[in-house]
Order: sequence, then C-alpha cells, then structure tokens
Amino acid sequence: MIINGVTIDETFAEAFPMKGTRLIITAHNAKWAMISAQAFTGFATSVIACGCEAGIERELDPNETPDGRHGVAILIFAMGGKGLAKQVETRAGQCVLTSPTSALFSGLDGEKDMALGQNLRFFGDGFQISKVIDGKRYWRIPVMDGEFLTEEKTGVAAAVGGGNFLVLAESQGQALAACEAAIEQMRKIPNVIMPFPGGVVRSGSKVGSKYKALNASTNDAFCPTLKGQTKSELSPEVESVMEIVIDGLTKEDIDTAMKVGIQAVCDLGAAQGIRRISAGNYGGKLGPFHFHLQEIMA
Amino acid sequence: MSSLRFSLKAAPKQRIDCSPLTPDNLADKSLTEIAAIELVVGNTTARVDALFELTDGDSNTIVFANSDSKLDFIGRNMTQGSISVQGDVGAYLGIFMEGGEITVNGDTGIYTGCEMKGGQIKVNGNAGDFVGGARPGRRNGMTGGMVIVTGNTGARTGDHMRRGFILIEGDAGDYCASRMISGTIAVLGDCGAHLGYGMKRGTILLTQMPSRGITANFNDCGSHTLAFLPLMFASFKKLDSQFANVEAFSRVQRYAGDLAGIGMGEILVKI
Repeated sequence: MIINGVTIDETFAEAFPMKGTRLIITAHNAKWAMISAQAFTGFATSVIACGCEAGIERELDPNETPDGRHGVAILIFAMGGKGLAKQVETRAGQCVLTSPTSALFSGLDGEKDMALGQNLRFFGDGFQISKVIDGKRYWRIPVMDGEFLTEEKTGVAAAVGGGNFLVLAESQGQALAACEAAIEQMRKIPNVIMPFPGGVVRSGSKVGSKYKALNASTNDAFCPTLKGQTKSELSPEVESVMEIVIDGLTKEDIDTAMKVGIQAVCDLGAAQGIRRISAGNYGGKLGPFHFHLQEIMA
Repeated sequence: MSSLRFSLKAAPKQRIDCSPLTPDNLADKSLTEIAAIELVVGNTTARVDALFELTDGDSNTIVFANSDSKLDFIGRNMTQGSISVQGDVGAYLGIFMEGGEITVNGDTGIYTGCEMKGGQIKVNGNAGDFVGGARPGRRNGMTGGMVIVTGNTGARTGDHMRRGFILIEGDAGDYCASRMISGTIAVLGDCGAHLGYGMKRGTILLTQMPSRGITANFNDCGSHTLAFLPLMFASFKKLDSQFANVEAFSRVQRYAGDLAGIGMGEILVKI
C-alpha cells in the first residue's frame, strides 16, 4: 500500500491489556489546572520504568467540569489495578494536592472503582470533611490556601496500551515534522494519550537485551546508524525513524488515533521526505492486540 | 393506570398506624385484600375499608386524600414507589424509609423522616419537631436521603442526623442540628435559638445570618471560598424546590463548633 508516495508496511503494531482511568483536575484558572496536570503526568512515559503511562487528554472548559472551573482531563494507565491505584494515589498526593487552588475529580465511571481521595483525606489530620452529593462522596481537606476538594473514588476501565507506528524519513527534521503533524491531529481524538515527550519517542525498543539485567533494549533494526552493522529494516535513503505510541481506553480508540496520525504523516508525503510507515512488531511476544496498518488505512 | 387511593372517611378520634399501606406492602395485593388489612387504631384495630374510601389503582403510586394529623407512620420502611398525601399527616412520616418519594401537601407531625436511609420526602407545608431525627434513646437519625420542607420546621431539626440532606425553605426551629453527627441542613429562612447545640460534625448552610446570631459555642473561622458548594447547588437544580432557584454561591463565613464537644461541625453563612 502506498499513500501519497509513502509506503505502508504490511505489518502490525502489538499492544497489551492495561487498566486505566480518567481524572479531571480543575483550578483557579486554566494555567494552574495545566500546571497541576503536567506535574501529575510527569515521568509517566512507559511502564517499563515509570510504573504507569499518563498524559493529558484535553483541556476542559468551565461548563465541562464538576465545579465549573477550568480543567484538564488526564488519562493514566498501568499494567494492573493495584499498580494503577498506587500510581494514582502517589501522584494525586504529591502533584495535585500540593498544587495551588486545585481540585480532583473522577472522569470515568467504570464497572469497578478504586481510591482517589479516599486515602488522601488523612492528610487532613482529622479536620477533613466528607460530603456525599448525588451519590458520590467527596472529601474536603483543609490546606493552607483553603480547601482541597477531591472525589473519593474513580472508575477503572480495561484499556489497551502500546499501540504504535513508526515514521521513516529521509532526515531527522522531516521525521520530527511529520510526527508533530500526526500528534496535532491525534490529540483531537478522545480516550487516547500519546505518553512520550511531545507524543513522540525516538528510542523505540525491542524485547530483550544482550545484558541479562535488561528486558528491553534499543530497536537496532530501525537504528539508521547501524544499517551496516545489524539486520536492518531500513533502506539506504532512510536516515531517521521516530515512533508514536498510543494508549487508549479501547482498541477502537487506538484504531482511530492511528488512522488520523498516519494520514497526517502521509499528507506530507514523499515530497517532504517521508518514505515509509511501519510498526513495532515483536512477533507476538508483547501482547494480544494487533493493529494491522494496511487494514487501518484501507 | 391511576393511583391507588385511600380517602379518609371521617376525622379519626384515635391515632392510626398507616405503616402497612406502602407500595412495598401492597404490591400484588387485590383491592379486596387491601380493604381487609387491619390497621392499629389507638388500642384496637380496624379494617382499611372501615377507615378509608378505596379507589383501585397502581399500588406503586399511592394517594392519601382528606388526610388528617392523626395518620402516623405513613411510608414506613418503603423502598420504592411514591406516596402523595393531600392534607396533614401525623408522626413518623417516612420512618426507616430507604427509597421512593413521599409528597405531603399539608403539615407533618413530629419525627418526619425519622431514621430514614434513602429516598425523598417533600413537605409542602410545615414540619414538626425532630425532622430527620433519631427515636428517643437512639443515636443515629437519618442516614441518607433528602427531606425538603417548604415551610418551617419545629425544634431539634436533624437531631442525631448522620447523613443526607434536610432543606428548609422557611425557618428552622430551636436547637436546629442538635447533636448532629454529619450530613447537611440548609435553611433559606431564619433559625431559632441554640443553633447547632451539641453538634459534632456536619454542615448547616444558611443564606442569611440568623436573627439570634451564632452561639458562643461556635468560633469564627473567617470568610472562605469553598469548592464543594457549587457542586451541591448543582445537585439541587433537579429538585422541585426553591433551592433549585438559589443562585449558587461559594463565598461563606465559616463558624466551627459545637466547641463544647468535639467542635467539628460547621455553620456556613452566605456573604
């Protein structure tokens, strides 16, 4: 398959099941809601070392938030419910509770739920106040700038992590420009995040390593400087490869995000130095969800 | 299908225990079976059809017409359905109620919503003492649900109240929120003496400073913007009540008490 001079490889991305939730952070204004959300989603690019993958889904207008203030919706994913609960609690405690004027709400009603502010309330040292409004329990925790309001629980959903595609370009600048164009379009899709810096990862990994201590290492088949040293997947004219990783609440959400992302890259086309679109395919070792590029773009 | 209707034939001389006449108890009963139910009247009993004129209808929506202040225990233990009352009712309206709705177009006696756990009671009139309270000797009043009173309430509103809402569009009587454990009482009118007497936790929300002021057992914590108030007012929007029309506010003067006890309760007065 070729779109606008860009070859779409006959391959697929592999993804794995995760647990996820959506949280809504509000604050005195959009600036401080974003600061709090950025702190919460910091150091959350990959479960390999961060314990979770998190990102900003979108900004929310005051009429979309529970307390009528500016807000930000974030998605956070982990490999299991317990790991997710731990990450949510520590990040909420250190990054949202501490953030001036913030409030924290659940943004997802799942079949199961987990603690959000349920344990943060103990920071109130006995002065915390519970309020049940419309069947949901909230905690008012006295803090130095007033009160920190948080919902007691948030829903947990079965989710999908690790959807991806690779952009193969003639130069580093062209690969980056294509990925930026893709991310701009993909951020319009609900229920997904691209957890890496700016949504783009330049250090795609393969499963395993020559070093026993590591369970992932550089994806040498797609490293342009190793074209003559390893069993490379790259043709001579490809000088840079970048990857976009997508986590989503459902497989369909990731399908949609991949389609608009790949389309944005292909719109730049061969004329802008884009040669191929491929995907992280690890021979079925990684996960049960397979995203076939040509089927998505058909 | 129209409502199942109980129209009182004559003003009773003795109090009548109406607790068997709920949607839960009357489900799947024929009109004949309902007519034969024996109600406790004073120190004796009487058949339903001896006291009420019955009109067959959906037992999930019950109407008491020509009601009287001697009809006690209406809606006791009900979990679903609705009861509408035309006229006054007696004591213990909606006691132990877990769900459904009761609407009274008249005044209620003492212990309205006593120890209720869920559902909604709307009194289009005045309510007696101990709204949402606990029975004598008991330590937990209402633990959920909502009581709306369009008129005034008597003394000891929310006595021992543990959870839920009591919304008073008129005035609250003396000792409002006495011994309150938690929950929320909101008053659009004035409050009587000894507001929050023995209050442990919970919130009294007022749109105006009480004419008698705040008692010395409450300390002024200053003026604040509280984020939970807009959420609470948003939840009132769906109610058939003046509270649905109250313009949401979050700026309040906060008083903490009763400091003669643990002092974790609060009175919030709109500023």
